Amino acid sequence: MLNIEDYRLIFASVGLIGVLLFASPTLGFLLHLPGGERFSELWILGPSHMAEGYPSNVKAGESYLIYVGVGNHLGSTAYYAIYVKFRNQTEPLPNATAETPSPLPPLYEYRVVIHDGGVWEAPLTFSILKASIVGGQCFVDALNINNVTFNVNKPASWDANSTGYYYQLFIELWIYNIERRSLEFHNRFVSLWLNVTC
Amino acid sequence: MPLTVSICHGVGEEEAEAEIKEAEEAFNRAYVAVVEAERAGANISILVGKMNMAGEFLAEAKNAFRVGNFSEAFGEAENCLAMLDGIAEDALKLKGLAMAESHKAFWQSLAFSCLGSFAFLAGLFYFWSRFKSAYTKKLLKMKPEVASDAEY
Repeated sequence: MLNIEDYRLIFASVGLIGVLLFASPTLGFLLHLPGGERFSELWILGPSHMAEGYPSNVKAGESYLIYVGVGNHLGSTAYYAIYVKFRNQTEPLPNATAETPSPLPPLYEYRVVIHDGGVWEAPLTFSILKASIVGGQCFVDALNINNVTFNVNKPASWDANSTGYYYQLFIELWIYNIERRSLEFHNRFVSLWLNVTC
Repeated sequence: MPLTVSICHGVGEEEAEAEIKEAEEAFNRAYVAVVEAERAGANISILVGKMNMAGEFLAEAKNAFRVGNFSEAFGEAENCLAMLDGIAEDALKLKGLAMAESHKAFWQSLAFSCLGSFAFLAGLFYFWSRFKSAYTKKLLKMKPEVASDAEY
């Protein structure tokens, strides 16, 4: 049989639990528990809105469609800049280890504000307008992205391993840092290898 | 004296660049105001929608600038500024309302917690007093029993 001290302990425990239950709405205002993992997503999809059918053998003058998407899981609304860049095999990509973007200038960009848990997607049509092969090198002079024509003037040497003249269309994700009040590389990029034929 | 007639307003590179810079700074300010309103607990979905439209104009301005289309760049930057007009002020108002609501909710929940806890503890204490007295009475009514477990 329980003695009076045991019952006292039970009553004290019930009292403490009750007080905690009554205090929980106020504690909710004061205590902010850390949420889950916070991250942003960046993706490209093929013309059928699926992760397939990406353009790879690209003919000058023909138009190709892909979709660019960004997902925000950072716990608050975020402001992103999405930069589309174009390189040949000798030019640098972003450095994921050093978390630095490619030094190549962006050709095309999107600016988007996405609330937490939201996604954004936009079509990206591109075509190589002027390309020529001279002396074993391919020259891409102009690239059209979403009906804006950019002069790129990029040569590419013949890739004997992959048998083609390869360029890379890549997309970097940047985010606005509210503390530093500037856009910063978010260390995410996706790319598409393009074997250019004239 | 040479006669020059301006048929249309041509926008120079510097003019377009300055307008884009202004639009970009206004966009950043509006974004900061919107995020602060969100942190205060305001519903910012309408403002985010407007910011996305402004963001489209800003991106188009920058894309046009890159290809040397300064008139279009200037026009898009102007559109961006027009779309951003009032967003920071609206965000500030929403932030104020949300903070007032949040303060009200906090004081209400604090009052509920204090009164609820007090009432619960008072009730528990009353129950404990009754229980204790009943328990003591029960103990006093019990007859002592002699244990006979000693071995002879």
